[in-house]
Amino acid sequence: MSSEGFSIPIIHNSISIMTPFLLAAIGGLMTELSGMLNIALEGLILIGAFFSVIFAAATGSLLLGILLGILMTILVSWVFGAITIYLKANVFITGLATNLLASGLTAVLSFHIFGTKGVLMFEELPPLPSLNVPPLHKIPVLGDIFFGHNVFVYMSWIIVVIAWFAIYRTPFGFRLRGTGSNPKAMIAIGLNPQNYQMLGILISGFTCGLAGAVLTLNLGAYVPHISSGRGWIALVVIYLGGKTPFGILGAAFVFGLAESFSNYAQGFIDIPADFILAFPYIITAAAMVIMSIVQNRNED
Amino acid sequence: MKVNRSDMFVTAIALLITLSAAFMVMLVMIFIMSETPGETLFYFFAGPLTNKYYLGNMFNSAIPLILTGLGIAFAFRSSMFNLGGEGQVYAGGFAATAVCLAMPAAGAFFGITVSLLAAVVTGAVIAGLSGFFKMKWRTDELISSFLISNALIYIVDNFITGPFDDPGNNLLTTSKVAEQFWFNKIFPPSNLDISIVFVVIIAILAFFYLFKTHQGYEMRMCGVNPEFARYGGINVGKYIMLPMLWSGALHGLAGAVYVLGTSHACFKGFSGGMGWNGIAVALIARNNPIAVIPAALFFAYIEAGAESAMINADITIEIASIVQSVVFFLITAQAIYNFLKYRRKAV
Repeated sequence: MSSEGFSIPIIHNSISIMTPFLLAAIGGLMTELSGMLNIALEGLILIGAFFSVIFAAATGSLLLGILLGILMTILVSWVFGAITIYLKANVFITGLATNLLASGLTAVLSFHIFGTKGVLMFEELPPLPSLNVPPLHKIPVLGDIFFGHNVFVYMSWIIVVIAWFAIYRTPFGFRLRGTGSNPKAMIAIGLNPQNYQMLGILISGFTCGLAGAVLTLNLGAYVPHISSGRGWIALVVIYLGGKTPFGILGAAFVFGLAESFSNYAQGFIDIPADFILAFPYIITAAAMVIMSIVQNRNED
Repeated sequence: MKVNRSDMFVTAIALLITLSAAFMVMLVMIFIMSETPGETLFYFFAGPLTNKYYLGNMFNSAIPLILTGLGIAFAFRSSMFNLGGEGQVYAGGFAATAVCLAMPAAGAFFGITVSLLAAVVTGAVIAGLSGFFKMKWRTDELISSFLISNALIYIVDNFITGPFDDPGNNLLTTSKVAEQFWFNKIFPPSNLDISIVFVVIIAILAFFYLFKTHQGYEMRMCGVNPEFARYGGINVGKYIMLPMLWSGALHGLAGAVYVLGTSHACFKGFSGGMGWNGIAVALIARNNPIAVIPAALFFAYIEAGAESAMINADITIEIASIVQSVVFFLITAQAIYNFLKYRRKAV
């Protein structure tokens, strides 16, 4: 790959880097369309990351690990949703609660089960299968960019397409968007908007569980706070993508590219490691401000 | 202002339900996690109260929480979200340290004043940035304040472990500030220092500012109903900026007070949890500046209890985060209030 210069590996890497926040953003979009800002994405990713890798190690099966990890994440998102919707709590505060719970619970369980709050290594875990289609690999440029990723990458693209279809082509999608734009109309036609809000949150639990699994199973290890801001990036990606699945795909790619480039730049420019860590937050904040300036211009 | 007694009663009961739920969760967790639950429970509940050292330290750790709680209460009263507390405390503490280190021979009064001012301005600028973006272009301040603050945490980390790192030891910290800047201890052998008096005065001033001044009234009006406030001729844009400036200033001050009073140096990650706990403190206090004081003490108690249980028994300190998350989950749950109100009418 390196024979193609530096740009192709950067693009190739950006595609795998963007997968976790693409997944989280698609789930967050469902919550957003039902009329709620989901700031729990960060914590939900962390829950998915922790439980998928420890279940995978315990059962010796990647698939079981992923499924049980997702199940745990959906469970936590249910708690978040139930308290927000049925107990009528403020969604921002319960979102913060979910993030706090995730960081507390993962640390406490890690300490209780493994006796450490540090990195958990699982060397016996099999690597994630990747998609290699030798003849397609030979396509110049595109072959190197689009093939050879792990299966989650392709799964995330399928999920984008499914999300698009569900939102714009099914009664579920109409009702979900109806809940966000006009809940009273939903009640008038005899539907309960609370059910759709709950589904919006549970779907975000599903995709964040998957996003977390990508992070840890790819590494074969759990690192404390491995979500490291991806849930927040996902939130901004939802807005930058204009709240549409394909827009989100594009926005997530831009963020993936930025992060991939900063990883690459680290190799030959002497930037302190802390600045590299700060970079995703700076670029996300900048993107957010620029977007609101543009939107404001258009409205005037 | 007329206070509805039955509303206050309902609020108190709902708060009690929330806090009991949090304690129940903690009890269950201790019984699951600990080999010696009885001992752990003892250290958790009684530990912070067993001697002067622990007791004083508990009050001492409430000091920054009162300030961050007030900072969040200002923002919430105006319907603004400041999720950047952690970074504002951190940057404020660092600014105060840098100022003190820059003039080691300055007089105590001058040095302390300048360093507190530096912290207040640093915090206010950081939070004010999010307020400015919101006022100018309607950028969501909730997300922007979090992102800006998190970026700053890494940048301050870099200063502490890089150019400002104390070469005299292997710890990730700056050198200690000159001794004349240290706040006086008032409850030895604990760390409790004189700033607790000033912090309580600040809380009282904040109450008067919010509830007894014209500006405070306008700020609260914008929080309750911005459209109505605009119709009433209030400059709503100003009250997007102002509460964020106050909020950031108080967070920055919290960092400075912690450095000058307790740690005497800026060590890596010292602000961890102070910002988030400030949010919980403000919520428990229902954004009332006076009530922030007992709410901060309650949080300091949970933290001290978890720490005491960690040192003396076999659980880890993050158990406090789980207890705090239960408080976060339930504290705004309107259904609890509605249920209680309905019950009272029925009786």
